[in-house]
Amino acid sequence: MDLLAQILINGILLGGLYAVMALGLALVWGVLNIVNLAHGAFIMLGAYVSWHLYTYAHIDPFLGLPITAVVMFILGYALQRGLLNLVVRAPMFNTLLITFGLEVVLTYLAQLAFSADFRTINPSYAGNSIQFGAIVLPLARLMAFGVAIVLTVAMWLFLLHTRLGRAIRATAQNLVAARLYGVEPRHLYAVTFGIGIGLAGAAGGLYGTVSQINPYIGATLTAKSFAIAIIGGLDNPLGVIVGGLFLGIVESLTALYIGPTFADVASFGVLVLVLIVRPSGLLGKTA
Amino acid sequence: MPNTMILKRNIRSLSLFAAAAALLMSAGSAMAKDIVFGASVQLTGPVANTGRYYRDAYELAIDKINAAGGIKVGNEKQKIVLKLYDNQSDVNLSVRQYTQLVSQDKVNFLLGPFASNFALADSAVSEKYRIPMVQGGGASDQIFSRKFKYIFGTLAPASNYFGSTIDMMKGLNPAPKSVALLYADDAFDVSVAEGTRPKLKEAGLNVAMDERYSTNATDFNSLLSQIRSKNIEAVLVAGHETEILNFVRQAKSLAVAPKMYSFTVGVPSEDFRKALGKDADYAFGMTAWLPSADQKDRWFGDAAQFAAAYKAKFNYEPDYHAASGAADVEALAQAIEDAGTTDPAKVRDALAKVKFESLYGTIAFAANGQIDLPQTVIQVQGDQLEAIYGIHGAIKPPKYPMPAWNAR
Repeated sequence: MDLLAQILINGILLGGLYAVMALGLALVWGVLNIVNLAHGAFIMLGAYVSWHLYTYAHIDPFLGLPITAVVMFILGYALQRGLLNLVVRAPMFNTLLITFGLEVVLTYLAQLAFSADFRTINPSYAGNSIQFGAIVLPLARLMAFGVAIVLTVAMWLFLLHTRLGRAIRATAQNLVAARLYGVEPRHLYAVTFGIGIGLAGAAGGLYGTVSQINPYIGATLTAKSFAIAIIGGLDNPLGVIVGGLFLGIVESLTALYIGPTFADVASFGVLVLVLIVRPSGLLGKTA
Repeated sequence: MPNTMILKRNIRSLSLFAAAAALLMSAGSAMAKDIVFGASVQLTGPVANTGRYYRDAYELAIDKINAAGGIKVGNEKQKIVLKLYDNQSDVNLSVRQYTQLVSQDKVNFLLGPFASNFALADSAVSEKYRIPMVQGGGASDQIFSRKFKYIFGTLAPASNYFGSTIDMMKGLNPAPKSVALLYADDAFDVSVAEGTRPKLKEAGLNVAMDERYSTNATDFNSLLSQIRSKNIEAVLVAGHETEILNFVRQAKSLAVAPKMYSFTVGVPSEDFRKALGKDADYAFGMTAWLPSADQKDRWFGDAAQFAAAYKAKFNYEPDYHAASGAADVEALAQAIEDAGTTDPAKVRDALAKVKFESLYGTIAFAANGQIDLPQTVIQVQGDQLEAIYGIHGAIKPPKYPMPAWNAR
């Protein structure tokens, strides 16, 4: 019983981390209709930004998250204005190609710049835990989970209640109507992409604090984020957190009852099931 | 002004032409005599971290042999040239590159890639084209169980990686009451698990967990929670460095501290210990090689001098991967001298009979092509890496049992 409770808690905390990773991907996908295959590479870059802040400027990884997010926002804004804007009206296939290319370039640049050495962001409290009887709550994961909830709710409120957020949603729903109401799509697209990459950067900082960093962590993180975005649905950020939690719990229970080799089978199996049963995601509006 | 510009341009193109011509000529004259070793190694991609040991070891050993005049073939000395490709950590690409090395680049001999799954696939190329491959990156018993004649390996058999560790565990006080065996689902780690299981049984140790996980797994929370819930006292993990980094970090964050844990990879590598910092303390591992001055070598003097030269040139410490890679170059050089020719079949026969002392230990291959070296148990103690238990028994007392994480 204790074991089951512990596994469920592990799954929920893991799911929180998954949700932050997928948040940016879902936003960019939903608004710009770009499936950003370089998303994991941006998480990796964000992790390196946090690692540098922590190692050289001694900035706590959690306090440094806003800096990481801003740095990554600027990178994302610039990339969208300079590169992705060229294909924003192009068919889906072109955007897939260009983001795939971006992934390869970023990964190899990262190896040139940072080498293939393993890095960890390891502040003294990173391995601490809080114990309740037989249940252990890992502190860093708990904090990462808190950040995930805060970011998701903030995103939700931002999209719902601010002028910019409403403009982003309006553009996603009907570009022509949004333009008639005075929305400047080029700037707005770049801001949206920047926010998506900023969120990826923040996720990277959290990831480096609980896991390890090397230039090649991106591809699997993209795949995970992709699955979560589909499972949760692209309509609102709360869907992403539901998707993340769901996947985290499924993977943890699979590892316990069926075997750790089947965790990925389970998560992508769930993805296929969701596509069949609820194609617009668990929280998505059914067509 | 325009005149000087034209002049400048002419000079530049002329000098370029001269340089190109010189390069062509030197390459042409080199090709007639040099012996070419070909290899495809992971310089980029997820395994680049370990792949670099092989590139650097090959380069260092070849430079050293060339500096001593090269390899004596019959009556003349010939230099070695290395033809190296980056396989981007992609098995399929590495098979294509080895095929290109033998069929188009016409290299004389092959050096190996890193990792068992690569060596397993690439050795099919050397076998097909009958070009000997000496590889120091694949330890899986599967590579050597196919009766191939052209593959030789300088990593000790995977099945015996935990052999010395289990010998040591028998003498621990108090002995661990229950053992967990965890392993990744690839050629090397499955071989490790298959070899370890009967050894644990023989030693009378109770295997309470025996779990396989997927390669590149990042989440070990479920396994760790089971380790705590079942009160496992010793954990043996066969996996990759990234997985083991995550395993140790998550063990700490879940406050899981068995009496001991040991890992097939990571512990001997400097940057692995750096990434974990203080949390690397108490971790056991194993190595078939230690940079000792007792290990004499014809080209480098001894293993300690090899380690010093390696560190000076590449700015990081070599581990057994690097020593194994250097031994591959030396084994080929020795076999070519013994055969007195560069004929692949004759060198293959010489390799099968080769026996010499090297920086890596005694190089000699069993009938299946694999070396047999004992593993020395090592442990991180404070910020030192200590040899604990070797072929002749205890070397230094282990730090055992490992204290709880909050009692360190």
